Order: sequence, then structure tokens, then C-alpha cells
Amino acid sequence: MFQLFKKIDYLLLISLTGLLVMGLLALYSTSHTGNGGGGTTNYFLKQLVWILIGLVLMFSVFWIPHKWIYAAAFPLYGISLFFLVLVIFVGKTGQGAERWIQMGPLSFQPSEFAKLATLLAVARFLYQGEKDPNQPVNFILAALFFVVPFLLIIRQPDLGTSMVFAAMALPVLYWAGLKLSNLFLIIMPFLIILGSFKFLTFLLLMAVLVIFLVYYKRSQLVIIANFFLNIAMGLLTPVLWNHLKPYQQNRIKIFLNPEVDPRGAGYQIIQSKVAFGSGGGMGKGFMEGSQTQLRFLPEQHTDFIYAVIGEEFGFLGAMLGLSLFFLLLFRGIQIATIVRNRFNSIVAIGIVTIIAFHTVINIGMTVGLLPVTGLPLPFISYGGSSLITNMVMIGILLNFNKNRYEY
Amino acid sequence: MKKYVLYGTLTAIFLILALQFFNLQISQSSLYTEKSLENSVKMVTQFPVRGNIYDHDGRLIVDNRPAFSLYLIPVETTERTIQIVSDLIDIPAAEIRKELRKAGRFQPVKVMRQVDIEKLTWIQENITDLPGIEWKSEPKRHYIRDSGLAHLLGTLGEIDEHELDAYPQLEPGDIVGKKALERTFDDEIRGSKGYRFVNVDAAGRVVGQVTNNKTIRPEPGKHLYLTIDFRLQAYADSLMEGKRGALIAMNTRTGGILTLLSKPDYDVSKLSGVISSEIWDHLLNDPHHPLYDRVCQSGYPPGSTYKLVAAIAALNEGIISPYRKMNCPGYFVIGRKTVRCWKAEGHGTLDLEGAIKNSCNVYFYQLGLLIGLDAWNKYSKLFHFGQRTGIELTNENPGLVPSTSYYNRVYGEGKWTKGMLANLAIGQGEILVTPLQMTQFVSILANRGILHKPHLGYKLVDPLTGREEELPAESTKIEGIRSSVYDLILEGMREVVDGGTGGLSRLYGISSAGKTGTAQNPHGKDHAWFIGYAPFENPEIAICVLVENGGSGGGVSAPIAGAYLKKYFYYKGEYDYELERKILAAIAARRDSLKALNDSLQTLVIDSTAQN
Repeated sequence: MFQLFKKIDYLLLISLTGLLVMGLLALYSTSHTGNGGGGTTNYFLKQLVWILIGLVLMFSVFWIPHKWIYAAAFPLYGISLFFLVLVIFVGKTGQGAERWIQMGPLSFQPSEFAKLATLLAVARFLYQGEKDPNQPVNFILAALFFVVPFLLIIRQPDLGTSMVFAAMALPVLYWAGLKLSNLFLIIMPFLIILGSFKFLTFLLLMAVLVIFLVYYKRSQLVIIANFFLNIAMGLLTPVLWNHLKPYQQNRIKIFLNPEVDPRGAGYQIIQSKVAFGSGGGMGKGFMEGSQTQLRFLPEQHTDFIYAVIGEEFGFLGAMLGLSLFFLLLFRGIQIATIVRNRFNSIVAIGIVTIIAFHTVINIGMTVGLLPVTGLPLPFISYGGSSLITNMVMIGILLNFNKNRYEY
Repeated sequence: MKKYVLYGTLTAIFLILALQFFNLQISQSSLYTEKSLENSVKMVTQFPVRGNIYDHDGRLIVDNRPAFSLYLIPVETTERTIQIVSDLIDIPAAEIRKELRKAGRFQPVKVMRQVDIEKLTWIQENITDLPGIEWKSEPKRHYIRDSGLAHLLGTLGEIDEHELDAYPQLEPGDIVGKKALERTFDDEIRGSKGYRFVNVDAAGRVVGQVTNNKTIRPEPGKHLYLTIDFRLQAYADSLMEGKRGALIAMNTRTGGILTLLSKPDYDVSKLSGVISSEIWDHLLNDPHHPLYDRVCQSGYPPGSTYKLVAAIAALNEGIISPYRKMNCPGYFVIGRKTVRCWKAEGHGTLDLEGAIKNSCNVYFYQLGLLIGLDAWNKYSKLFHFGQRTGIELTNENPGLVPSTSYYNRVYGEGKWTKGMLANLAIGQGEILVTPLQMTQFVSILANRGILHKPHLGYKLVDPLTGREEELPAESTKIEGIRSSVYDLILEGMREVVDGGTGGLSRLYGISSAGKTGTAQNPHGKDHAWFIGYAPFENPEIAICVLVENGGSGGGVSAPIAGAYLKKYFYYKGEYDYELERKILAAIAARRDSLKALNDSLQTLVIDSTAQN
């Protein structure tokens, strides 16, 4: 047992603990807002229970042989796909999306676990037989692992979470050996989608594509295929846009200009920035944030929880939180580089990506840099499914670090 | 190499986030702090309590009772709230929507004043279903003693655009005095609003007080004490009940008004809160025009009371000697017109005193022609006719004193006749006066030329400190009239009461003077006037009674004035109704015994004739 603790990565543990404490403080603050503090759910206590469960699971994962994780990859993937299909039929609706499965007194989001399961499955697929993702067959098969849950989640619809799969795919494949030039060709159609809202940017991106293809002397087949794929994507964009739910369209429109509807949907972004900005350098003090305490800040225990930290602990607190995230992620990449097992390495990068993506999207949204997506902030936002998945992922990182010299 | 790409990407993205933190929390911190304060701190207006109104001796006339006004906040309110409120307070929803559109999104709009307590309770119980509704305490006037005081007190109402321009410190929806004393003394008795700041949550609910130095306590308005004696005002009200007209009594030594009554009047409590359209229509369509303040808002022909002005002009200008006698055959011929004296058989030969005592028209027709328009106009102006008295009431009518240029303008030069001038001398024709001007006039006479400006305000009392502030009274002297002229005129007026046309105003045990007037007018029966003062030797009270279309001044107004004066002296402990009863009984007994004597003499004569 003592041996085990010697092998634990304290940097990871410290940054995790810091973030959990910060999250608990913020939740404690939001749980005591308004007139009827007792009437609202006490998120603090519930989250505390989730953290205890998470810690047990995390240390369990840390403790088990790392080969068990490898072995569980495909079964877990199968189970999570099953639940993602199940949620279509028995899912609980929340805010216009069927995301939840009710199990007794608990409800959980299968999409949270699917992130980790998918990562494990892809890593195992790439690990078996040292597959080169630059080979089209390998690439397409690997991509399929992402695409299936992606499609199941996007139809819930949960745009934010489904984006995690897309975002996770790139660094994982890159880490597995995908060349930057190929990576570029994969990203290009998505850039085209974003760019083709304006015809000029569409043309510009197409020009970049052609120059790139010629410069890297790709085969004619690749050139022609990519060229037409990108044009098709550009043409498809308006169709895709029309396929978004009105609330999703609104979120993007309002992100672009929140002042158009300050009392409506833009309200969230404005209030979040006001709460965050009014914190100033040192913050208004624990449980002293007027925007939080008087509930001007919406969704303060989940989506906009970082604004609570920004308001009550100021720039100092916000930077501390950011630093803890940075430390945690930095350490994650380090672990990915030092572990000898390729599966472990790919999974580590995938975990870092998942956590980083959530962190950046959520904080970016809170400070008004990114549109409102509803992605929780790892370790800090209230929510059991997300917290447990994230802590299990930290458990995996700890495990891999412990076994870094093993193949 | 691959790990550096990842480290680099992570660092770059986190740097962007950190920069945005810096941007929001350091660079723009003050902007967002201000926005956060706007969010959560709300200014709550606290309405001041309006000053009470008391009579001269401290009898409470008007104070305040708690009341609540209903507001809607446009940005928070819903169509359902508007519908419910519309049903509740009986105002069309379209009208409420219109009001809401006019206001700013966050500015509460007053939709109803003085909401019933039942309705308010209902709203309080259902507040969660009525977003955007709120209420504020706003004291309303409560009338404890209002007999005959409606015109005097005036009404309150919501501030209008002109008043907003005049009082920049006030806001839309504020309550201000609209008429009469409430208007004139508005600045003093309104008080000033206070502001306190509260924390509100996102739903606008008050969650706590903010203690900052911007809190301003509301300052109550000052209490206003009037020169009015409420007992006399109420008594006058009873005397004038059922009549149209005015009764004014004034302290000749100060100008303080003791009674100021205009009849008919209205229930002031019904006009000072929320006015129901029913009551409003009823008042507007009343043929007796109860909203009209007859004391100073309308001009009347003064009739014979105005002969005093002609007499003073003639004497003071030396146009006639006091002993100048003229003959009254009962009619007078001017040009091709014959005008009649009120006494058909004529007064015979009279001097000026006799003409005043008997109010002889023929004497004054001739006198008018002798004086001429310019001198008449000069003396009318000298006694402040044709100009406002400046009393603390609103919409005062200056009356009309025609001049040569006036006639030239109206009729054309040379087109007007001497008959018009003769008419003016007896207070008929174009001349218009207000009962208040007549009161002021008789007071000047009683004071032998000293004018104490008529006023209603006696003092202001600060309700917090109790500090008293006497309201200034103004006095001037009418220059240029000889004392001997006053002697003669006043003596004539004494005789009017003592056996003349004003005999019914007579007091027993206290001497008084007066003048009656019976003014012809195009609206029906003559207006009955009486002006007078008492005691004759040492005047302290002046009175003017006008009964619109009442008939003769001596028959209708003089007894009212007499009754009022008696009450005045009675309250002072100087009048003895018992003595009056005895004197009247003695007179009646004498009359009866004379009649009996006469009867027996008659019988004697008949008997003796029969014997013959």
C-alpha cells in the first residue's frame, strides 16, 4: 500500500484537489443564494457525495492493473453505444434534448461515459497491430469509432458534447501518427463549413486548400477528391444550418451579438460577463458576489459556475483556477509522452483533450469568447455523470503514470 | 516534436483565456462593477407626507391617510398581468398598454392611485402570478372638516407636463396641488421625496437594504394654518345652503380672511383622489356650475354697492358739495331713453347721504354724468377694481373697469352714449367685480384708505421642529382721498343699516355700516349684494354677501350678513342674542300697542260716524 502511494503523481493529485475545492466553494456559494436558500437544491452536499464516489472510483482505477483498462475498452464501448441507443427510447428530456437515463433515484448522461469508452476503443484499435492512421483504411475505421457515438449524441440533440468527439479525434489521431498535412486535409472541410457563411471566406479557404495540395505534391486522386469534398461541404453548410434547432441557431447568433436581445437569450452572456468582470482583481469575497447571490447569473451551478469564481474570487481566483487546469493538463501531456505503452499514451492524450476541450469551451463561454454550448466545466460544475467520468479519467492517468515503464 | 505542438497549443489557448480574464476583470472592471450595481441596487422612492391644513385656531381641516398606488413595470409585465389588472381596476387593457409603451422599459408606470385595500390584498396574495406589478405607499388627503371649504382647499392630482417643466425636481406620476390653496402652497406643504436603495434579486424582489450615503429621507411638508375660522366658515355654509353665491368675511385690521365661501360647492374628497368619470361628468354638467369659485373667479355687476365709488369720486374731486340736493321723481331721462329709479314714486329731494341711505338711482345717474368716465375710472382703479387682489387662490378674475379707450375699442369712437356712463355710476353696464374685490373695497373704506391685502395663509409650521413661520401680510395706503370724504361716505353707510335699505343686517348693541346692491343681469332675477363692516366706530370685520339671482340686496343678502356678523361677535363674547330677543320683543310690543291704539281710534271714528 505504501508502495502504491509512492507511485502516485502528486502534481496531478494536487491540481485535481485544488479544482475540486474550488468547485465546492463555488457550489456552496450558489447553494446559499436568494431568499429561500433552503428551498433550492443543496448542490454543495450532493456534489460532495459525488466527489466521494468519484474518489473511490478514481483510486480503484489507479489501483487496478493497467491491462484491465485495455481489456475493458471494447466491452465499454459496446455498453456505452447500447445506452446511447437506449436514451433515444427511454431518455428524460431536459431543455429540449433527451440526454438522461433514469436509474432509480439517480439519473445519468450516457454521453458522458461514451466519451471515455470511445477513446479507449479507438486507442485499442490503433494499438492492435501498430496501425498507421495515415493509411486511408485505418483512418476511416478509426474515424468510424468516433462517428457512431457522435451521430447518436448529435441527434439527442447535444451539439456541445458531440463536438467533444470531433475535437478528441484530431489530437488522438495526430498522437497516433497522423501527419500534419493529412490532419490539415481533415480539418479543412470543417473550416469550410464555418467559412462558407460568407462567400469570400469560402473562396479564400478553397484557394488555401489548392495551394496546400499542390505544395505537398499529393496525388491527383487526393487533390480532386479533396477539392470536391470541400466544395460539397461549402454547399452543404446552409442545409446544416437549417438543420439546427432554433435554440442552437439562436445561441450562435446571440454569441455573435449578445446585445440584440439583452433580456432574452443574450442575457446569459451579458450577465456572465458582468458577474465575471465585476469581480475585479481581488473579487467581492466568498458568498459576497451580488450577481451570484441575487441570481442575476443564470445556470450558476453548472454552465456559468466559473463566473461565480470570477466574481467572488476575482482575477486572482480565476487565474488560480486556470493555472490548476493548466498544471493538470500539462502533466497529462507529460504522462502521455513518458508512458511506454502506446495504448496508454494515446488514451492519456485523449483524456487531456477531453478535459481541455471542456475547460476551454466552458470558460471561453463564461468570459464571452465562445458561444453558449452547455458543456460543464470539469471538476467544478455541478453534475455527477461528468464529475465521475472526469475523475475516472484522472484515475486512468494516475494508473498509467504508475505503470509508465511497462509495455 | 509532437508533444511540443500540444504543449504549444494548450499554452496558447490558455493565454487567450488569461488575457480575457485580464480584460474583463482588470481593464474593464469598473464598467462591469457599475453594471453589476445597476443590476442589483434599486432606488425606491419614498413619498413625503403632505402638510396638514388647520384653521386659525388650530382646528384640523385636512390630514392624510395611507393609500397605495399600483404600478406596472413594462419590461417585466406580461399580457396576462395586464389583462388581470385591467379587469381588477376597470381600465381598458388597451389604455394600460398605451401607457406602458410611452414609458421606458424599466420605469414603473402608475396605473392606478388609491387602490382599494381588498384589491391590493388580492394582488399581494397572487403576486407570483402577476409579474411586473408593484405598489407604493402614497398618502392621500383625508378631509376632517370640509363644510364649505371645497373651493378654498382645492384639489390634488398627478403632475402634468407644464408643471413638470416648472418643477424640474418632480417626476411624472407625482401628486401636486391643482387648484386653490393646495396649488398656491404646494411648494411649502408638498414636502420632498426621499430615496432609499435596496438590493433586489433577478426577479426584482427586495432582498435587503443598502446602506449608503445616497439615502435621502423624505421630508414631510409643512403644516398650513389658515386665517379662516372654521366655526364661522361652517356657519356661513349653513346660511348659504341652497343658494348660489358667495360669502366673504375679512379681518379689516390684517386682511386675513375669516370666511371664504362659494356656493354651490362639491365634495372635495371625491375630487382629490381618483375622480370617477361619473362624478366628474355630473359636476361638469350641473347647471349651477359647482366647480366655479364665485368668490374670485367670476365677475358680477356690483349694482348699487358701487354707488359708493361714484360718491367718493364726486366728493373728492369737488364736483359736488356734500349738501348738493337733487330731485328724484322716480325716473330720469337721458337722451331719448327714460330710466327708472327702483322706487317708482320717487325719493323726492335728496342730498348725497340720503341718496346713499336710500340707494337712489336717479341721484346717481345725474351724479355719474357730472363725474364723467375718466374720473369714475380713476377712482375705480384707486380702489383696486379691475385688478386681481392677489389672494392665494388660482384663476382669480380681475374683473372689468371700462375706460374711455375700452368704449372706443368696443363701440367705436363717439358711438357710445352718456347713458352708459350713467349706468356705470349705479354699478350696472360693463363693469364687473368679484365678491372678493368688494370685500377688499369695504375694508379699505372701514380703514379709511388702508388696504390690507386679503390673504388666507396665516402661518406655516414645520412638523419636525415645530418651528413656526408667519406668512407676511402686505399693507398699502390709498392716497389722495380726504378724510372728510370718508366721514360722509361712512356716515351714509351707517344710515343704510340704521333705517336704510340695509336695515335687515342690523346688529343690536353693536353699530355697523353697509351698502346694499340689487344688480340687474341678463341671467334672470337680480343679484343680491350686501357689503358692510362692524363695529362702525372701530371696524374689525368686513363682509360681503352675494346671492346670485337672489332678488334684492336688502331683502336677501343683508339678513345673511347680519346673521353672520352676529355670530362673529357672539363667538367673541360681544353679542348677546338674549338682548336682541328682548329688544325685538319690545319693538314688537310697541308696534302691537300702537296698532291697538290705532285700531281703537278707528273704532272710535267709526262709532262716532255711526252715531251721526
